[in-house]
Amino acid sequence: MSEYDYEDLGLVAGLEIHQQLDTATKLYCQCPTARREPEEATRTFTRYLHPTKSELGEIDDAALEESRVDREFEYLAFDTTCLVEEDDEPPHHIDDEALDVGMQIAAMLDMSVVDQAHVMRKLVVDGSNTSGFQRTTLIGQEGQIETSEGPVGVEDLLLEEESAGRVEETDDGVRYSLDRLGIPLVEIGTKPDISSPEQAREAAERIGMLLRSTGKVKRGLGTIRQDVNVSIADGARVEMKGVQTLDDIEDLVRLEVQRQVELLEIRDELQARDASVGETQDVTDTFEGTESGVIEGALDGGKVTAVPLFGFDGLVGHELQPDRRLGTEFSDHAKRHGAGGIFHTDELPAYGVTQEEVDALKEAVGAGDDDAVAIAAADTETAELAIAAVKERAEAAIEGVPEETRGANDEATTRYLRPLPGAARMYPETDVPPVEPDPSEVEIPELLTERVDRYQAEFGLDAGLAEQVAFGRRMPLFEQAVADGIDATLAAGTLESTTTELRRDDVPVQNLTDDHLLDVLQLVDAGDLAKEGIVDVLTVLAENPDLSAEEAVEEAGLSGVDEAEVRAAVEEVVDRNEEQVEEQGMGAFSALMGEAMGALRGKADGEIVSSTLREEIQKRS
Amino acid sequence: MNPGDRVRVERAGVTNEGVLMPSTTADYLVIKRDGGYNVGIEREDAEVDVLETDVYDVGDEGEGEDSSVVEFDDDLPTIALISTGGTIASTVDYRTGAVTARFDAEDVLRAVPDLAGRANYRGRVVANILSENMTPEIWRDLAAAVHEEIEAGADGVVVMHGTDTMQYSAAALSFMLDTPVPIVFTGSQRSADRPSSDNVMNAVCAVEAAKSDAAEVMVCMHASESDDVCALHEGTRVRKSHTSRRDAFRTIGAKPLGEVDYDTETVSFRRDYAERGAATLDIAADLADDVELVKFTPGMDPAAWDYLEGKSGVVIEGTGLGHVHTDLIPRIEELVDDGAVVAMTSQCLEGRVCDRVYDTGRDLLDAGVVEAGDTLPETAKVKLMWVIANTDDPVGAMQRSLNGELTEQSRPWT
Ligand SMILES: [Zn+2]
Repeated sequence: MSEYDYEDLGLVAGLEIHQQLDTATKLYCQCPTARREPEEATRTFTRYLHPTKSELGEIDDAALEESRVDREFEYLAFDTTCLVEEDDEPPHHIDDEALDVGMQIAAMLDMSVVDQAHVMRKLVVDGSNTSGFQRTTLIGQEGQIETSEGPVGVEDLLLEEESAGRVEETDDGVRYSLDRLGIPLVEIGTKPDISSPEQAREAAERIGMLLRSTGKVKRGLGTIRQDVNVSIADGARVEMKGVQTLDDIEDLVRLEVQRQVELLEIRDELQARDASVGETQDVTDTFEGTESGVIEGALDGGKVTAVPLFGFDGLVGHELQPDRRLGTEFSDHAKRHGAGGIFHTDELPAYGVTQEEVDALKEAVGAGDDDAVAIAAADTETAELAIAAVKERAEAAIEGVPEETRGANDEATTRYLRPLPGAARMYPETDVPPVEPDPSEVEIPELLTERVDRYQAEFGLDAGLAEQVAFGRRMPLFEQAVADGIDATLAAGTLESTTTELRRDDVPVQNLTDDHLLDVLQLVDAGDLAKEGIVDVLTVLAENPDLSAEEAVEEAGLSGVDEAEVRAAVEEVVDRNEEQVEEQGMGAFSALMGEAMGALRGKADGEIVSSTLREEIQKRS
Repeated sequence: MNPGDRVRVERAGVTNEGVLMPSTTADYLVIKRDGGYNVGIEREDAEVDVLETDVYDVGDEGEGEDSSVVEFDDDLPTIALISTGGTIASTVDYRTGAVTARFDAEDVLRAVPDLAGRANYRGRVVANILSENMTPEIWRDLAAAVHEEIEAGADGVVVMHGTDTMQYSAAALSFMLDTPVPIVFTGSQRSADRPSSDNVMNAVCAVEAAKSDAAEVMVCMHASESDDVCALHEGTRVRKSHTSRRDAFRTIGAKPLGEVDYDTETVSFRRDYAERGAATLDIAADLADDVELVKFTPGMDPAAWDYLEGKSGVVIEGTGLGHVHTDLIPRIEELVDDGAVVAMTSQCLEGRVCDRVYDTGRDLLDAGVVEAGDTLPETAKVKLMWVIANTDDPVGAMQRSLNGELTEQSRPWT
């Protein structure tokens, strides 16, 4: 990947971060924010959506293009969802806890909370909201975060309801699960103040840390989503969706800059060649008796369509991103209309298409040596729609970079999704009255970064462990354990290092509840379980989550070792190694300690074994 | 500064630019920002700049341009669409923020394009009210309008009605009209301003029912929470039984008369019905306006019934088999002696009243109470209004079925 001078290129980037909140109830009803498995559904029902005009009388093209209107949506309902999710009861009052967390996040982002918050309906007709819209509310404005490359403004903070989870495509439409619908979600949009890939990553990291510092955000896959907007001077605003990890953000920005630079290069060359795009036409006859499996398969009842790209020779195959060419972009557009993809002459002859066929094709559409041709083969309607989409994209290539929404691929490249969403798709939610948030009681929580420092200073944890605990899922449990008087190093080691080790050994640690862990730590603290026994007891608990910690200790065979038994076991070891003890005295300690611990199988505390062993060695030497 | 102006408002270091909305109050300016979000800004200490006046006409729905003249198709039946207001044809009033009815029948066609091609339509507006504001006066107007439409050749009538009092209006038309064609009431439980509204499917199914062979007054609404089947309820046996669900309407004591499959557009029936053309069109729209429906509850102040003095009819919603506190019986006797028809129904809703079983009941019968069988209390009120004005023997009429409101045999769930 070539390295660019981003300042020179006029890189402008912004972030949009969506984070689910971990509140007790949903945003507009009293249902819990718990996720469920589709098999747990108690009822199902089906609906259609009929899009309406927005308040300003305009229908959003992007929203409409997103989905076909005649689709039937099936919804799974649970014993943890109610009629509000089913759009069969008006929404309740906006959830106080979510609003409080929202105001806290606003404070952390140095934002002003609005005087009066108005709940809006954002038109969404893909079925992911039973109502056909998403409720969203502007609650904070004009904030800022710091990065090492300077401040990044935060445009707005929105409190919205999460959409229903997509379970699968059905024959008639899509099946959705209602458990996720209505979980509170904050959306944070930065200003386009970001000017390098590294800064994009740092800003995202910073915002993520602030969000997690509230202790009120959901964790795990899909609970945070990051969108990145990128443009360069002469380029265009491109919105990238579905960014999975922070590392990807940096690469995505980098690769999008590359894409726009390459597209501009293509534009310049096309304009220099005075390139143009011809009319689409039917070239089915050209491929009669073709050897190409793909084309032959489509010819049965379908057709082959083509568009001549005058002056495009060699440029359709021009690489924009690793393994993605201008032709790939053409393909993306064709795919949106149901085609499997396209062929273009820069890559032909290949895929069973012969040189003679290429020549005949060029001849048929009036293309010469400097020109390229793109073809689509599919059923008649698809082939026509697909080639028309390719034509449109090719025309845009002569103009430069098109504005659009793109989806992130695994390798941090992107693919075309749809046009940029329009602005006029919002109207007031008349079922929920406006609220006047009162931010005067809001307190900024200790930041996770501050917490890392404190864990080192106060508890003497090393930097790595302190960060693991502070940023980890079990941080509140750690705090509770320490408050209960449990040794901080023991608690941190058990909650982070030990569970990580167990996971590596394929122990089902996800079964361990907070109570399991806390109970085990308390048993150790009370002297009823040796530190060395923790691994065994947690393993038993993870495999039998119904057991209590005490029962697990017994099950692991670690109970009932008193001092007399320890002494007896130690005496036996010393007896067995009498010669060594006589020869080496205390020098035999380490070797014997291992043997003694092994004999006691973690039932006894190491310190007690050690002091008993010392006594016994002293006696004999 | 007026709603529709483009303004810039600065307050406490935050600048908001956008269109001033009519939902602005004395305390808060409401701005629609360019991104589409509305935000309320305290007027106090706010600095306002009007950037441009009348950028957007916030009061107009953009009517007119897309209203097309629907062509008449000789092969299709003619259905009269009569609007009384209600959520099937409603929109947001963003001055008050509430959902109000403001479309006429033509707008319904525009709002529900799926109706196109099913029939030739004749639109008509009888009222533009929220259904809780329904009055006997409007019932009379509605009956007259339906009568006129059928007389003018309509093959079926669809009445768009708010759901709150739909059952009363359906009952009223059942008694007022002898009809040779279907009269189908429909509405929506979830407002028409949402893509998920039940208005489209209900309207489509109602039109299909109005084209059917059943010359009955029916209510056509969702049969379940799914958009698959609409139930057809007899207008005198139906009740709104849920505040918000799509399938709020229930036929009491039996399954619905029929149903319409949204997907296949087939209309089917479970029981016998009056066939198209069997009856001769007739109207008797007079109503006695001084009829009350009262509910007896334990601990009620007997003075609550003082206002029944001089009424021509009273329907009591009694307990169980049709009872009230013994102390109220003399009051009923006075009303009957005074010339009122006093009919007994039950707040159980399911089942018929029977005042011969217990002493209280026998005392009520002695006092002159008329048993209304299993007539629903709401239907009984409308019926009593009608029989007092239109029959010589209202007491006898209350004890027999005129339009399916009172069943002869208790044969539930068939
Ligand atoms: Zn709920």
